[in-house]
Amino acid sequence: MVIRLEGRRGRLIIHLFKRRFEWTVEPRYWRNPLLAVALWIGLPLLIPFMPRGLPIGPSTLITSLFLANVVAISAMAHSLQTVGTGRLNFGPQFFIVIGGYVAALLSKNYGLGPALTFPAVFAFTALLGLALSPLTIISGGLYFTLITLLLPLILAELVFWRADIFGAETGIPGIPRLVSTGNIMRDYLLCFYLSLAITLVLLIIIDKVLRSRWGFMLGVINEDEEVAASFGIQTKKIKVVVFTLTCGAMGISGWLLAHYYGSFAGTMWLEPWLLVFILLSSVLGGKATIYGSVLGSYFIVLSRTILRAYIKETALLVLYVVLLIALYSMPEGLWGLYRKTKYREYVPVIRVRRRVGEVA
Amino acid sequence: MLRVSKLVKRFGAVIAVNNVSVKITQGEIVGLIGPNGSGKTTLVNLVSGFYKPDGGRIIFEGVDVTKKGPDERLKLGIARTFQIPRLISNMTALQNVTYAVVGSRRFGEKKMTLMEAAAEALYYLDIFGLLRKRDVLCRDLALYELRLLELARALATNPKFLMVDEAMAGLNPAEADSVAKLVQRLREEFKLTIVWVEHVLRVIMRSVERVLVMNEGRLIADGTPQEVTRDARVVKAYMGERVVV
Repeated sequence: MVIRLEGRRGRLIIHLFKRRFEWTVEPRYWRNPLLAVALWIGLPLLIPFMPRGLPIGPSTLITSLFLANVVAISAMAHSLQTVGTGRLNFGPQFFIVIGGYVAALLSKNYGLGPALTFPAVFAFTALLGLALSPLTIISGGLYFTLITLLLPLILAELVFWRADIFGAETGIPGIPRLVSTGNIMRDYLLCFYLSLAITLVLLIIIDKVLRSRWGFMLGVINEDEEVAASFGIQTKKIKVVVFTLTCGAMGISGWLLAHYYGSFAGTMWLEPWLLVFILLSSVLGGKATIYGSVLGSYFIVLSRTILRAYIKETALLVLYVVLLIALYSMPEGLWGLYRKTKYREYVPVIRVRRRVGEVA
Repeated sequence: MLRVSKLVKRFGAVIAVNNVSVKITQGEIVGLIGPNGSGKTTLVNLVSGFYKPDGGRIIFEGVDVTKKGPDERLKLGIARTFQIPRLISNMTALQNVTYAVVGSRRFGEKKMTLMEAAAEALYYLDIFGLLRKRDVLCRDLALYELRLLELARALATNPKFLMVDEAMAGLNPAEADSVAKLVQRLREEFKLTIVWVEHVLRVIMRSVERVLVMNEGRLIADGTPQEVTRDARVVKAYMGERVVV
């Protein structure tokens, strides 16, 4: 038999060919990521069946969830970048917009579809990141933050100056959609699931990296770069690689936006709110923890949608006040708050006998 | 093993290391002493690659390392400890030694998993009696334990040449003696060449075979502990000149 299920004292063992997967189903151990992923994937399927007449329509809600994924992708990449370079980038929206424009221009000028623009966007934004990566070596602290803060401003001016290429506020129309089945609701849902798949893949990759010896070295660089270098960690090389790849990942957010809306106006995404959302997702989610970034993105984007639906004009004002209160009252972030409620840690412990006649 | 020739380091108008030339042979244990601000730690920083020199050359085992970064020097076998313990306070004792094990893997050596590196790190913690403290965050360790952890971390890089920068500063006499015995033991067990920067002259004078004395960035004496203590320039550097009023 290909798949065989076996129940054993609060555990579900899944035999798949010769491999064996074990899942603890006892409620007090419910930290299982499978459960969270199942809910994450399953719940949006219920959105089309929402009752009519609510202030939030199904399409608005799905678009918000899609946008939450877009913010989550950038926030995760930004968190990894912060850990791996020990520097705070204030220009993630620069790379998002570059990604969006690359997708839009390639579609408009060369007729490329989303499948072909995806690798091009990643490659271009990663190469741009590589070109800018010496900044992580020659500048640090406030200088790095200020330099990266200037990048979106420069791009915004460039967009207006070369309106013939970038379309200024109007943007570039006619970009092929991510999916086109003829049913709008189905398209929205499929787009959401595509963005969810990218978010999940990125989440798994970053999680694997952070749990490996590379992640450990990134942590040391983040804490004390000089100590890291004096204990053999190749700080420059690691910073360049991390900056380059995370910039590429941020570019994918732009690719999603361009192909979801079918037109791309960078000026809209270069505004400070996107930067604030990305930074707050990392911090409010749980101080640059990867899972926290996803939680934070969903919390912020969905809060905005709900507030907009119910209180309209003052929605953003209330949102920022709520976020301010949340930041003040939850210094450990949403992920930290969740972890605090769990009494059991799953960190492996090595038990070693002490030697007889131990020195000192 | 190590040859430093005409090394110069300036900080603005101050010449912290002024034309220093030293030769250290393999297996030696050398004390580096001098009054405060004499340039001892700057010399350690220059040899370990923390600072770039303004002049001179550093040759380690026939390789010119003057322009190499601290990570490359570490992989060649140069390790150091810090005067003020620079451990990562948010990490446990075990993690602080583990990254030294991971980082010190030489080119071409088999890459280690994090678990293998942690297992090796435990061995070094055990040598210094810190095994029980392996899961304690560094910010919760006592100064004596931090000093030992500094030594464990340096040893975990599998060095050939170790620079110990004031390992006894802030310790009581019993703890200082214990650290001195450990440094001696490291030299014998791991066949290390050691340069030991220290202020506690009582201990260092009976622990080393050769003493280098620095004052105002210059090397003013080089000899056995007995020779150095009789040197008029050393006495003047430490005690000042006799003035009859």
